[in-house]
Amino acid sequence: MSLAINEIIAVVLLVASLFFFLASAIGLLRLPDFYTRLHASGNSETLGLMLACLGLVIYEGPNLLSVKMVIVFLLVFLANPIGTHILAKAALKSGHPVWTLKDKEEE
Amino acid sequence: MKTKDMLNDKTIVGSPVKHLVVLAVVLFAFWFLLSGKVDFKFLLYGALTAIISAWICVPLLLMPNADGTKKYFIFDVNLGKYALYWLWLLKEVVNANIDVVKATVKSEMVINPRVIAFRIKYDNPMAYTTLANSITLTPGTVTMNVTEDGLYEIHALTDGAAEGLLGGGMQQKVADLFGEPFIYEVVEEGEVQ
Repeated sequence: MSLAINEIIAVVLLVASLFFFLASAIGLLRLPDFYTRLHASGNSETLGLMLACLGLVIYEGPNLLSVKMVIVFLLVFLANPIGTHILAKAALKSGHPVWTLKDKEEE
Repeated sequence: MKTKDMLNDKTIVGSPVKHLVVLAVVLFAFWFLLSGKVDFKFLLYGALTAIISAWICVPLLLMPNADGTKKYFIFDVNLGKYALYWLWLLKEVVNANIDVVKATVKSEMVINPRVIAFRIKYDNPMAYTTLANSITLTPGTVTMNVTEDGLYEIHALTDGAAEGLLGGGMQQKVADLFGEPFIYEVVEEGEVQ
């Protein structure tokens, strides 16, 4: 049994997206404070999702389902930064301190 | 505000009738893509729904500028320029993603988190929103706060991300996109609390 060329491309893209999701999870665990962890989530929500959607679109071929997946991707692309921004703003307003390299030296 | 009043409102930038038609076309295109049906009956229902929804909703999509002298329609953008801007942003997002992954996955993390700030003056509120959204979308920078007078407070993860943003390339692109003058200054550390 051999894979069609679009299936191979789809698998490669999905694995690449998995790599970015994994990097995002690693960043989330390793980074020191709330604000820096927001950056780690940015990895999965942009490039991770982009590659996954692209892989599924290539697997599916040019039909209506692909268009819907592109719409979902655009929606996430527009809506996700708003969520991240609101979290950061709430933390800033409540006076959460920003971790800098000076804090690391004190530890 | 009622749509009837809106059609005679002189403070709106561009023609209100054109805005109404654009919204109806966008809604109808969305209906068509989601339904995927090409029968005449369904297209007629879709067109009617789109027109009625556009008539009711179009006043909600008007944004007043900071001094309240003009109102901007949020879909009133040059589509070609907008598409080019998004392609450029996608490229930036990919580059920034790779940088952030490199910075966080290495055994010794190469990060220098800090708050940077700059001030920019646009008239169109959509320009502020687009810039704030683009900054947050780019990994390595998150918009923490935008004030009424255009002060952006950004949390930057790495040196590269902070310098790249303060260079002003993205601010310039957004100003070009909305046809705004480019009035930009970097606010030094210590001036903001």
